[in-house]
Amino acid sequence: MPKDKSEVLQGTLDLMVLKTLDAMGPLHGYGISRRLEQLSEALLQLNEGTVYASLLRLTQKGWIASAWGASENNRKAKFYSITRAGRRQLARETESWERIAGVIGRVLRLESQR
Amino acid sequence: MLRTWWSRLAGSVGRDATDDEFDEEARGHLELLTERFVARGLTAEEARYAAQRQFGRLIRLKEDLRARRALPGLDAIARDVRHSVRQLRRTPWFTVAAALTLALGIGASTAVFAVLDTVVLRPLPYPDSDRLMAFRSIDRRGTPHPTSLSYPTFFDFRAGTRVFDRLVCYRGSRFTLTDSMPAVQVSGAIVSWDLFPLLGVQPTLGRGFVKDEEKPGVHVAVLAHGLWQNRFGSDPQIVGKRVRINGNGFTVVGVAPAGFQFPVDSPDVQLWTPLSQDAALSPSDLEPVTEQRGARMLDVIGRLKNGVTSEQAQAQMDLIAADLAKRYPNHNKNVAKTIVMPEVERLAGSNRTPLLTLLGAVGLVLFIACANVANLLLARSTDRAREFALRTALGASRGALLWQLLIESLVLGMLGAAGGVVIAWSALRALLPLVGDNIPRIAQTSLDGRVLAFCALVAISTSVFFSLAPAIQAGKTPPSDALKQEGRNLARGHNRLRGMLVIGQVTLGLVLLVGAELLIASFVYLVQRDPGFKPDHLLTFDIGATDTTTVADQIAFSDRLRERMSAVPGVRSAAFGFPLPLQGDEMSVSFDIEERRAAPPDRPHCDIAIVAPGFFKTLGIPVLRGRDFTDRDTTEAPRVLVVNEAFARKYFPGEDVIGKRIESGATNGKEKSVMREIVGVVGDAKQLAVSADPDPIYYFPYKQMTWGIGTIVLRTDVPPLQVESAARAALAELDPMVPMYGIKTGDERAAVAVAIPRFLMTLMASFAVIALALTAMGLYGVLSYTVARRRREIGVRIALGAGWRAVVGLVMREAMALVVAGLTLGAVLASLTARLLERVLFGVRPGDPLVLVAGCVVLVIAGLTAAYLPAARAASVDPMQALRTE
Repeated sequence: MPKDKSEVLQGTLDLMVLKTLDAMGPLHGYGISRRLEQLSEALLQLNEGTVYASLLRLTQKGWIASAWGASENNRKAKFYSITRAGRRQLARETESWERIAGVIGRVLRLESQR
Repeated sequence: MLRTWWSRLAGSVGRDATDDEFDEEARGHLELLTERFVARGLTAEEARYAAQRQFGRLIRLKEDLRARRALPGLDAIARDVRHSVRQLRRTPWFTVAAALTLALGIGASTAVFAVLDTVVLRPLPYPDSDRLMAFRSIDRRGTPHPTSLSYPTFFDFRAGTRVFDRLVCYRGSRFTLTDSMPAVQVSGAIVSWDLFPLLGVQPTLGRGFVKDEEKPGVHVAVLAHGLWQNRFGSDPQIVGKRVRINGNGFTVVGVAPAGFQFPVDSPDVQLWTPLSQDAALSPSDLEPVTEQRGARMLDVIGRLKNGVTSEQAQAQMDLIAADLAKRYPNHNKNVAKTIVMPEVERLAGSNRTPLLTLLGAVGLVLFIACANVANLLLARSTDRAREFALRTALGASRGALLWQLLIESLVLGMLGAAGGVVIAWSALRALLPLVGDNIPRIAQTSLDGRVLAFCALVAISTSVFFSLAPAIQAGKTPPSDALKQEGRNLARGHNRLRGMLVIGQVTLGLVLLVGAELLIASFVYLVQRDPGFKPDHLLTFDIGATDTTTVADQIAFSDRLRERMSAVPGVRSAAFGFPLPLQGDEMSVSFDIEERRAAPPDRPHCDIAIVAPGFFKTLGIPVLRGRDFTDRDTTEAPRVLVVNEAFARKYFPGEDVIGKRIESGATNGKEKSVMREIVGVVGDAKQLAVSADPDPIYYFPYKQMTWGIGTIVLRTDVPPLQVESAARAALAELDPMVPMYGIKTGDERAAVAVAIPRFLMTLMASFAVIALALTAMGLYGVLSYTVARRRREIGVRIALGAGWRAVVGLVMREAMALVVAGLTLGAVLASLTARLLERVLFGVRPGDPLVLVAGCVVLVIAGLTAAYLPAARAASVDPMQALRTE
């Protein structure tokens, strides 16, 4: 069965969502989108709907949980929060991300020295 | 991972709720975004558009989420299936060949399973039927065998049993309905009172019987639903009405539910009466049959008490039987044991083993078919090696390739299953009439849900099986090799596997062929061997009960009947008697030889028949010594008998049997049993078609043993069915209230008698033919492939001067190597499996070396034929071209 082509991108988005929830506490989808926009300084142009795909993936893996609550303007909204399993996953992912980023960084520097 | 799947599974089920939830989430999100843009100074409309742009296309997102929530299966599988169908359509010949091969294998298996399921596996059509047990006495004489019970013995068991909730006896009988014209003859059963409670069946109208209705003089009946509809116009007021049956007024007490059958092996039974019928004193009997301990005529069925096993039940019944043997040694000494077995097993009876053997045989056919398809797939996967290599190089994992192969196989399997259902359906339609109702329940065979499920299961498991071979090969070779060399290395490995598949096919083919040969030889033996009478130009039929009340009246009627029938144009002679040869109904009665008297339980016993004068001449049974019966052999004259040669040989070896006297246990009316003189010896007419040796039998003249007229037989000068209407008219003239039924020609009787052997033989022979054809195809495929692969080498040989013979010999040798290897294995396997058929074989031994040799010869010929085309192709290779092409 062929795998999703955009696996890497998805992974990155999932990691960012997870980190956001870890840092900010429970948020709804709109809040997460705003936070990502703010953090990436509008460099990350994404359809905000894709956040929901990420949220669904994370929920299915048991890394986040959700509950209905009221939003700022008193609308019904679903709030997502990171679970304990999610925190463990985040720690693992962060570490491996940093390692890979380091390796890639070194390699790229090496290439440019030539 | 597991968690994801679980949540997806949950998502698959509760899809709508989550969909709505997401709608609400998205709406909220969009509104917040819109507000944000409005705050930045956009108009309401502009803000909404901007928000939608930033959020992305809602519908696509929803689809995406839905797909993620549900199991991945359906979409992905549908895509793979579409791909497979495209692949299969690209090679239509391969697809047709593979699907047809599979359809043959699956169809044959499905048909055999359908029969086996109906006859052996399916439970009886009554509630809690697994507690219904057949109960019989065991007769210790000869090979101990189950036997029927007499009424007094049955009553003793019924009173004494503590292991059965109910114990019910039954026997088949014929009833003539004469309340309206024309009179009809129906099959019925005489049963003890609690048949319906035993079976757990409630009549649709009225009730079953009550205990008091077993008493003599009671005339009540329960009608079958069909009889009630056809004969009584579904009269809702039928209960309580009186109908005329066998000249007596019977009160209808109930109507059985539609579809109700009992006994299951006599589907034509349409009427049930309690055993009061047998408790009445008939004009020709000394005492009612319910009081004759020697008259064993009852079958018994019981419902086990809860918690009692059939073994425990049998142990207790054995105790009663042993006690009865002590109390009534003259009648019960030889039946001091019993057998209790599930009724459903008794019904399958001796057909169980042959049917299981057939299922095994059809399994071999299926395997051979699978091997062929695997062979085709292997050849194809060699051709597709480049495609696979390319896909591997492009990053497809091995798993993905295997998955694709499996899906392709499954698509083929489903095509095969669809064709198989069609084949099974037509096979059953063609084959079931061969057996008629000679195997209980077989006529009910249909392709129902169970059978279709079996068919699907076979298709799926075979698909997995035959996709294994190419799957093992696929991806094994590094892609670079395959891309470079057109997969020639690959081909070598494939060919070894293909050779092994062909060897397996030859092995199993021989097993099937030997089985088929044995059954054919046995069938030919049964049919070719002299039945002892001439079945051609013979018309036989039964007649219903006459209204005669005295024995003298009955004899007078029979004389007139014979006279009238002899006068029918085209009839050369007429007689009657029962049972007829090949009929399968045996009446076995013990006798005492005057010169060697013995106590009742130690007397010899054998078949009897009661016949009218002219019976032997009409049937074409030769009178070898002494004389035939005449009209003067009446109760006024000395008592006489005629015996067959087998009787003379067995009981009076080396002596002249004429003039010897024996006393048969059979009695005529109110007479005591008497010594009777043997006045003639006739040829051995077989009572049973499916027995190895002729059985001894002694014949009574009808007027000295007036039990009933039995079956009328007419020897005709014209084709027998031509005299049917004239015979019917003659009977109507004699007595319009007597129906004529069961009309069969002698040839039909001979055919029915060998119906089961014919059925087995036809099936096995078809399997062998299919196996042979498939094996030849498999061999042809492998050899063609080898020749194509070795073109260059053959070209070189021819260039170096190898002649036609040498090249053909090369290919033939390869063919024979495979065939001989297969035959060697097959010979061992065949001699082991042939023994399974032992019990259904007559006139041929399962270990007959000639049969094995014949099977080998057939396979070698098939192998040479299959090898000829590729060999000839090899020999005609043009060396120049062969060398140039590579």
